[in-house]
Amino acid sequence: MILRVVLLLWIAGSLVAGFLWAPLVPGLGPTTRVLYFHIPSAWITVVALAWSMVHSILYLKRKRLEHDDHAASAAELGLLFCIVATVSGSMWAKAVWHSYWNWDPRETSIFFLLLIYGAYLALRSSIENDERRARLSAVYSAIAFVTVPFLLFIVPRLYFSLHPDTIINTRGKVDMDPRIRTAFFAMLIGFTGLFFWILNLKVRLLRLERSRAEQAAV
Amino acid sequence: MPTGESNFGAAVWAILRKECRTEWRTRYGLNASLLFALTTLTTVSFAAGRLGDRVDLMSAFLWIVLLFASMASLAHAFVREVDGHTLTFLRMVASPAAIAVGKLLFNLVFLLVLEAVTVPLFFILMDAPPPQWGRFLALLGLGSLALASTSTLVGAIIAQTRSRGALFAAVSLPLLLPVMAAAVSGTRNQWQNLSVRSELGLLLGFTAAVLGVSVLLYDHLWND
Amino acid sequence: MSVPAIPAIDVSVTATGLGHRFAPGRGLESLDFALAGPGVVAVTGMNGSGKSTLLRIVAGLLRPTRGSCEVRAEGRAIDPPQRRTIAGFAAPELAFYDEMSVEENLLFAAAARGAGAAQEAIATALAATGLEARAKDRIAALSSGLRQRVRLAFAILHRPALLLLDEPGSHLDGPGREIVERIVDDFRHQGLVLLATNDERELRLADRRIELRSRGLGDPA
Repeated sequence: MILRVVLLLWIAGSLVAGFLWAPLVPGLGPTTRVLYFHIPSAWITVVALAWSMVHSILYLKRKRLEHDDHAASAAELGLLFCIVATVSGSMWAKAVWHSYWNWDPRETSIFFLLLIYGAYLALRSSIENDERRARLSAVYSAIAFVTVPFLLFIVPRLYFSLHPDTIINTRGKVDMDPRIRTAFFAMLIGFTGLFFWILNLKVRLLRLERSRAEQAAV
Repeated sequence: MPTGESNFGAAVWAILRKECRTEWRTRYGLNASLLFALTTLTTVSFAAGRLGDRVDLMSAFLWIVLLFASMASLAHAFVREVDGHTLTFLRMVASPAAIAVGKLLFNLVFLLVLEAVTVPLFFILMDAPPPQWGRFLALLGLGSLALASTSTLVGAIIAQTRSRGALFAAVSLPLLLPVMAAAVSGTRNQWQNLSVRSELGLLLGFTAAVLGVSVLLYDHLWND
Repeated sequence: MSVPAIPAIDVSVTATGLGHRFAPGRGLESLDFALAGPGVVAVTGMNGSGKSTLLRIVAGLLRPTRGSCEVRAEGRAIDPPQRRTIAGFAAPELAFYDEMSVEENLLFAAAARGAGAAQEAIATALAATGLEARAKDRIAALSSGLRQRVRLAFAILHRPALLLLDEPGSHLDGPGREIVERIVDDFRHQGLVLLATNDERELRLADRRIELRSRGLGDPA
């Protein structure tokens, strides 16, 4: 309970800091503020994917359904944050690059993660049996785990050669204003806390549902 | 009592021969794929017309046609076992690894047959410039191997779901994107007389990674 | 029609708290037993009590979700993936390749196992199940009774030390049931036979019985 209130206050504080206290980046104007949502969401997208994959592999080793609960819940949340990151990034791209989508390497990578999440969840939804669903989706997760790095390697090569004139640099992050940096990292921590809090709720919910189904059957 | 390595080789060979024999007797997999390849090819060449020197578009189209044609059939290898209830029989005579490798080899043979028909047709219909044969065939071969190894593994998963075939393309596509990207970029490069070494390296590395993870995972594929 | 006797192999199957759950409330109840060959054991129980599930677990086709099931041959524990080498399995859901003949299916099984003298083993198995005349027929052309005979021929093809027969008499006529009896009699001295059945005639073949209790359906009488 206390943790939840602290988390709420923390995120509210970071928001206020980001909008009222931290300055804007020259040239980016008000779009600077997308930073406080976009990058933390992208970060959670990656964290959730890693969390899901680690638990998938743990499931294959130990065959305990709790690991599958973690893998599934993290993937569902990951998809949500992935959509937030994609949409916020796209809106920012429209404002700054004057186009919602142009297959810049980062856009491609996040789109790819979106597809992986989608495929993983679609696969899960088409298997009835608990153990089988856990096992097969974990196997899929493990395959995705080894193929993701290849895409991250090939994409910049490929799209650089297709679009030699799209030069996208880091978003002025290198020499970030200290106040922006503070607000940004506060937001990053807030998002991470939010993710693990919801994850915990979802895992507990799944466990309760299963034990209720078990009791109803006896 | 059968033991050891010779048993593995014998099992793989027996499965490959069995696959070829049942496929040859019915041919619905092959016929469907060839028709599918032809349909896609016709659509592309009809819609895009003769591309002449646009080798960037041509390499993309070539791999899209091949991907579509293979998607139509590669899932079949395992779906057929599940639909015919023959998976138990298969599992009682061969190890999961032998089953996976046997199916993979069959899928590879299948793809090569498909390409032997589709690729020449592509060159004729699209009026493509002559390729650098060595590089082109290397890309085609390694690309097929990467395609076959991934889709065999995904096919084994998909066969055990409710929707079977319908989900196959959606689930394997994200995994195959690096293969497509490397194959397309390599095919374009060979037409432009550029090096394809890094693309070949990527395809080889990808295949090795997928095969490696398959070896670790095959025991988990069929356990209920 | 009897098969040449081979020395008995010492086989045992031990279940400890063994259970399998397909879905809440469905599956095999927690089970404990210790069986040692040679001999014939009948597994009985009402529909849905898990007879087939138990046989699949013993055959190494299914991983139990609870407890353990250990199979030993000549004192050595056999891991589930290896059990196919010592176990023969016939069950109603076992199907063969429709596009191939009876003989081709059995040849494929022998070749995949890497077994030598395949022709001889196939001839013996076909003779034992009365299928000699049907060897060249495609599976698709066989009646359900003949398919059941192919299942039996497949189960005994590699002279397994552990023979797992799930409803062996299903779809069979009078002569077919005699074939089951002969096969069970042949194997009772050289290995362990597990017979999942509720059929009175087949139950008489068994030296011992395991009765499975189904949950939720009340105790079987």
